[in-house]
Amino acid sequence: MKKVYTLLLAGLLLGGCSNFEEDINVNPNLPSEASNTQLIANAELYLSGLGSSPQGAYYAQYLSETQYPNLSLYNTVAFNFYNLYTGPLMNLEAVLTSKDLDGNEGPVNNQLAVAKILKAYYFWHMTDRWGDIPYSDALKGKAEYTPKYDTQEAIYNDLFKQLEEANEMTVPGNITNDIVYGGNIAQWKKLANTMRLLMALRLSEVNPAKGKEEFNKALEAGIMGSNDDNFTFKHLAEAANQNYWYDQIANQGRYWWALSETLVEHMKPVNDPRLPVFGDPNSKGEYVGLPYGLTEGLDKQDPSLLGTTIWKQDAPVYLVTYAQALFAKAEAAKLGWIAGGDAEAEANYNMAIEESVKQWRNGSTVGVAEMLETPAVAYDPARAIEQIATQRWLHLFMHGYEAWAEWRRTGYPELVTPDGKQVPTRQGYPTEEGFNNISNYGEAVQRQFSGQDNLYGHVWWDVD
Amino acid sequence: MRKIFTLLLLLLVCWVNSALAQGQAVSGKVTAAENGLALPGVSVVVKGTTTGIATDGDGSYQLRVPGSNATLVFRFLGYETREVVVGNQQVINVSLNLDSKSLDEVVVTALGIERSERSLGYATQEVQGEKLTLTKEQNVIGSLAGKIAGVQVTGASGASMGGTQKIKIRGVNSLTGTDQPLIVIDGTPISNANFAGRNGGDYGNLAQDINPEDIESVNVLKGPAASALYGIRGQYGVIMITTKKGARGPKAVQVQLNSAFSVERVGNFMPLQDLYGGGGSQTWRTLPNGDKYVDMSYDESWGPRMDGTPVRQVFSFYPQDPEYGKLTPFVPHPDNIKDFFETGHTINNGVSITGGNENSTFRLSYNNTQIEGVEPNTWLKRNNFGLSAGLDLTKKLTASANVNYANNYAQRPSQGYDGGSRYLVQWFQRNMDMNRLKNYRYDDGTFLHWNLRRPNSSGEITNFEALYWNNPYFEAYENYSNDNRDRLFGDVGLTYQLLPELKLSGFIRGDLYTQNIETREAVGGRYVPAYTVGKYQNKEVNYEFLGTYSKEWGDFSLNANVGTNLYTRRYSSVYQESEGGLSSPGYYNIAASIDRPTNRSYLLRKEIRSFYGMASFGYKDTYFIDASLRNDNSSTLPEDNNSYWYPSISGSFVFSDMLAWNPLSFGKLRVSYAQAGSDLDAYQTAFTYAPGGIYDGVNSLYVPDNLINPDIEPSFAHSYEAGVDLKFFQNRLGMGLTYYMQKNKNQIINLDVSGTSGYSSTIINAGLIENKGIELSLTATPVQSEIFSWDATFNFNKNESMVKELGSESGVYAHDMNTYSRVSVYLNSYEGQSFGSLIGKAYQRDPATGKILLGTNNLPLYTEANHNFGSVLPDFTGGFQNYFRFFGKVDLGAMIDYQVGGQFFSWSRMLAVKTGMAEETAALNDNGKNVRDPLREGGGVKVTGISAESGEEVTAYVDARAYYRTTLGTHVYEEWLYDASYVKLREVRLGYNLDKKTIGWLPFERANIALIARNPAMIWQKAPKGLDPSELSTGSSPISWLETGSLNTVRSYGVNLNITF
Repeated sequence: MKKVYTLLLAGLLLGGCSNFEEDINVNPNLPSEASNTQLIANAELYLSGLGSSPQGAYYAQYLSETQYPNLSLYNTVAFNFYNLYTGPLMNLEAVLTSKDLDGNEGPVNNQLAVAKILKAYYFWHMTDRWGDIPYSDALKGKAEYTPKYDTQEAIYNDLFKQLEEANEMTVPGNITNDIVYGGNIAQWKKLANTMRLLMALRLSEVNPAKGKEEFNKALEAGIMGSNDDNFTFKHLAEAANQNYWYDQIANQGRYWWALSETLVEHMKPVNDPRLPVFGDPNSKGEYVGLPYGLTEGLDKQDPSLLGTTIWKQDAPVYLVTYAQALFAKAEAAKLGWIAGGDAEAEANYNMAIEESVKQWRNGSTVGVAEMLETPAVAYDPARAIEQIATQRWLHLFMHGYEAWAEWRRTGYPELVTPDGKQVPTRQGYPTEEGFNNISNYGEAVQRQFSGQDNLYGHVWWDVD
Repeated sequence: MRKIFTLLLLLLVCWVNSALAQGQAVSGKVTAAENGLALPGVSVVVKGTTTGIATDGDGSYQLRVPGSNATLVFRFLGYETREVVVGNQQVINVSLNLDSKSLDEVVVTALGIERSERSLGYATQEVQGEKLTLTKEQNVIGSLAGKIAGVQVTGASGASMGGTQKIKIRGVNSLTGTDQPLIVIDGTPISNANFAGRNGGDYGNLAQDINPEDIESVNVLKGPAASALYGIRGQYGVIMITTKKGARGPKAVQVQLNSAFSVERVGNFMPLQDLYGGGGSQTWRTLPNGDKYVDMSYDESWGPRMDGTPVRQVFSFYPQDPEYGKLTPFVPHPDNIKDFFETGHTINNGVSITGGNENSTFRLSYNNTQIEGVEPNTWLKRNNFGLSAGLDLTKKLTASANVNYANNYAQRPSQGYDGGSRYLVQWFQRNMDMNRLKNYRYDDGTFLHWNLRRPNSSGEITNFEALYWNNPYFEAYENYSNDNRDRLFGDVGLTYQLLPELKLSGFIRGDLYTQNIETREAVGGRYVPAYTVGKYQNKEVNYEFLGTYSKEWGDFSLNANVGTNLYTRRYSSVYQESEGGLSSPGYYNIAASIDRPTNRSYLLRKEIRSFYGMASFGYKDTYFIDASLRNDNSSTLPEDNNSYWYPSISGSFVFSDMLAWNPLSFGKLRVSYAQAGSDLDAYQTAFTYAPGGIYDGVNSLYVPDNLINPDIEPSFAHSYEAGVDLKFFQNRLGMGLTYYMQKNKNQIINLDVSGTSGYSSTIINAGLIENKGIELSLTATPVQSEIFSWDATFNFNKNESMVKELGSESGVYAHDMNTYSRVSVYLNSYEGQSFGSLIGKAYQRDPATGKILLGTNNLPLYTEANHNFGSVLPDFTGGFQNYFRFFGKVDLGAMIDYQVGGQFFSWSRMLAVKTGMAEETAALNDNGKNVRDPLREGGGVKVTGISAESGEEVTAYVDARAYYRTTLGTHVYEEWLYDASYVKLREVRLGYNLDKKTIGWLPFERANIALIARNPAMIWQKAPKGLDPSELSTGSSPISWLETGSLNTVRSYGVNLNITF
């Protein structure tokens, strides 16, 4: 029985001591340290979503809804940006503020440069959609739960600076775990400068002088030189990394998207070789667009649905492309930002179209020459800005948010207004900001849109 | 565990040896002096020994005494103790007199400490085991419904065969709603985890592994005063379960058989219309040859009238179908949903063997349950083994053990809005013949689905992939899921009576389970084929020591306890899920995954070390004061701040002794104050990263969205309670009334922050929820005689849970939200309001008259999804139980439970209306026309309201589809908000007793045969038919506020036979 007492006594003592095994509350299920390039890789995974948004495709009127028209009627006002801050941006911030970058994953400077470029890309995308957003105070965690909203102008100015820094800080040597460019730092530099070029063009209406200056600095720093340099998210033929539209259409059986009538009307008459890629023929073997925003008699329609190639499981998403840079140069030449006038504009315009077709058709240029000769497409100095904008719109197919931004800047192509519903000019802030960041949110809405947080305020660069 | 078995074996051997002991046999019957009725359960002990027995159901006993000079002591609570010298008597019949002074019961309190009820300064309420197994309810939590004041049980449909039974004691005490009480069985805390979600199988709460037949009694410690000795685990109350044990005494063995068979039928079907069939418009679609066809691409019933028109139905498009190409009449199938269900049945067999001798007790039980569910291809099999034994090793040292083993194998139906057969009331065609769908697979192996894309331009269908929904039989027979669980819990311990007044005991208590869950998505259905398999293992061990000191000095008495406890928990899980499809049909294994499967493993470890002590002082057995203190150290808390103290104090005063007013047999006042806590989960105090997506060999990592707080503290409750217990007329009438207030502070809140900070939430200590309420329990025996007796219990609890502080700038806490057709509903709490407000779109109303505003098209206008419809919680809850006994032979028991107030949204109803299935979508309007008839012919739904534009009152007729489908069924949640009040007849039992004394030829001692009915009727409910407000539990989600495809109500009728040998 002595043993029993010993046991009981031991139990008594056991209960009393408050020192636990050292690692008992150390979480074995999650890593307490991270590799910085693995954080960058996670930030890159979000790129797919930016270019696969049905809402973006509706704002640009690429697609019409065949079944349950809803989003395409601009019924949603508030859009959430929290997932971009808490997702990719916070990962990139963790890299940029990291105290232990590991040179084994590639030159530290290059890790930081890539993080900077990606961060700039996300913020550029976001400010174009919402307007002023938290930037300088954002991503500070506990230090600032209610960040102030920076003006779009301030954000653009800082992004130019960040991109310039990124371009300058790189050193030879690739980084690991990069799923976009395979670590190729030269291509990241070209991306940084091309982004700068496109952002500069965005200022064509609000501040042409600044735009012109940044545009030329970007050109000088070295932009993309071929489709190989494209900033693309390449999906894989596996469920975990598949194209958004594949999941919607192939997995969920949602044959809900047809080419818009607007799109087909620009492509079909000129035998645009991209049309058979963008859409599938209808049951009669023809390419027929569905009037955008149609709500009645949808049953009776027989339109061309979104092209099978576009929603292949591994179909890529194009984010920043060589042809886009060429269109930008064409427009800059026409605007007189760069030398060469109409001749330079026409050369870049024609090249942009050709590179676009090559991008969409696996390098094939069949049909490009013929299309370039049609009166609608052939460069016409009198309609040059409209032509460039329209062709850029066709080129940006499916990257709706970018196309919509360019539409807001240029006003081309002409989009339809079903039931008088105007195309939105921005997206509403997430409703949660009205709870979580009350005063800063209120101030930003007041400052920009006289208190109206809706779809029809104009962002800073969008001056009419 | 091997050690335990060795010990048990040892006990068994000792018991068999001593059963052979010899002596003189004595038998007799014990009755109550006041009415001559038999007294079961009277303790009959040979004075000066531990030899003894309890009287059986009819008051008789039988034992052996050492010799004629022995004295028998008859002791029974509430009666005066009598001693009788045996002499040469062989039959000793005794009648006991009521003892008005000790109308008192012994109750099991925290840590298993037995106390006399009169000394307690707080409320507890007990239910006897036989009242829990009245109709063979399998889940002990479910069987508590309505039986205890202040306990609210929210159940699940019987179709899930052991689905979630959720319990709340005294309202909501935690902002997150995760305030499940601690479940303790014979002193062993066990897990009541839940692996079910809102959608999919409802695997139920794990407390259902307790065999109801083993339960002697359940005692509920309702508030921190009662549960303070559980410290950091006691904030939400404790359910103390005591199991049946053998009794010490010479009557060797008692065998009980228990058998039940019941049939289960689905009831409470939602009323649906039978006039219009599948489609989106009343205009017929035609094939190129002019034949009309039913639009199989519509999962709605807004189609043409089912008037017998010859049409091509979906079957006629399958070339392998005998009806291929044929026209068949378009007619309703009013019972098509009912036809899907089968008659289920439950077979339950149990046996228990109880025994004991002078120095040992023993009970062994086995129970087997087999259920065939009401949904096709669903079943459950369960086995329970129980063993409890006690052995006096010496006069002072006793060893004891309780071992319970349970296993469950089940194939359960899916619940929720998009799983299994639940879509049948939500998205379906009223013309669909369920019996045609039954043969869901053609001879050539292809599957028959009813929801397909429309025929092509040549009038054929070539794509036979299911469009939105699989054939429900495909769901049942191909997409089935399985779960099984092995569970072992129990304790071993030693008790040493060091001095007459000092007892020491040490226990090791364990609870282990392994839960396995597999789900399947078959090839040939609407979704990517998939297989998931998860294994979840939990091991909790408590090492416990307790010293108890009891002594009386004249008028003073002392009961003191000190103890210590070490709690350890290890939980691990492995989960795998196929990705990108499965390599071959019917091969369900992770190896069949086409892409790299998802793999997750998880490990949790936790320890709590505790010290505690309590002392109770009594004066003249009339005044009592109790105090307790517990210290907890938890490994999940920050290292430098992991020790917390939980005190309690209570007092009681038995005033009836001083009044000496005859009708009042007992009267007690009690007050108490206590603090209790609730713990943190593991790993909440240190920052980590998390593994993200994997791309072509690159593993990504991310910064989690929830920011860890290294300074977090456990939450804390202050509880105040006062009450009175009264018993009148020798216990014939009793009343317990309690007022309580509980302040739950320092809530651990996942506070939403602006995502722009880089985090979407952070953990903080904040908030205050204040609960106030009264509990009333009335017991009465209005009639008591040989011919007829009636016992009744009425319970009532009114509770108010107020959110006093939230600790956020916004004053809002978002509990939950859900979205359908891009319209969201929310469960939020607001500072200064009752817990849990339902938020959604309401009608826009004219501020002056309150009438609905109508738009230019005369359709009602609705608000944004920001209307506050008020709290989800009920105003009051309770139960009413009645037991009748006729001629001492026939027993009738009926359990009623009720809830008044509380509300919920229902998607099932909303969707039934949206899709044109619900009755009102094809009703007649006041013109005598169907609402679906054209407006110009007098059809349409009549709306009255005020034109938003003109401000004029308007009465108009609007298109039924625009009204029900596009407006109400999509947006106006005010229509889909239902009051959850109900009065339910939950259990009825009508039994007949037989015994050997009246029927001599019986081969057994006694038997009871009974007709039982579980869930036979909803007496009254405010919500419309088709919904069941008493069965809203949605898996493990803490608050039930949104009904989304609950399983149908199941009614069960059967027979139950109990035989005692």
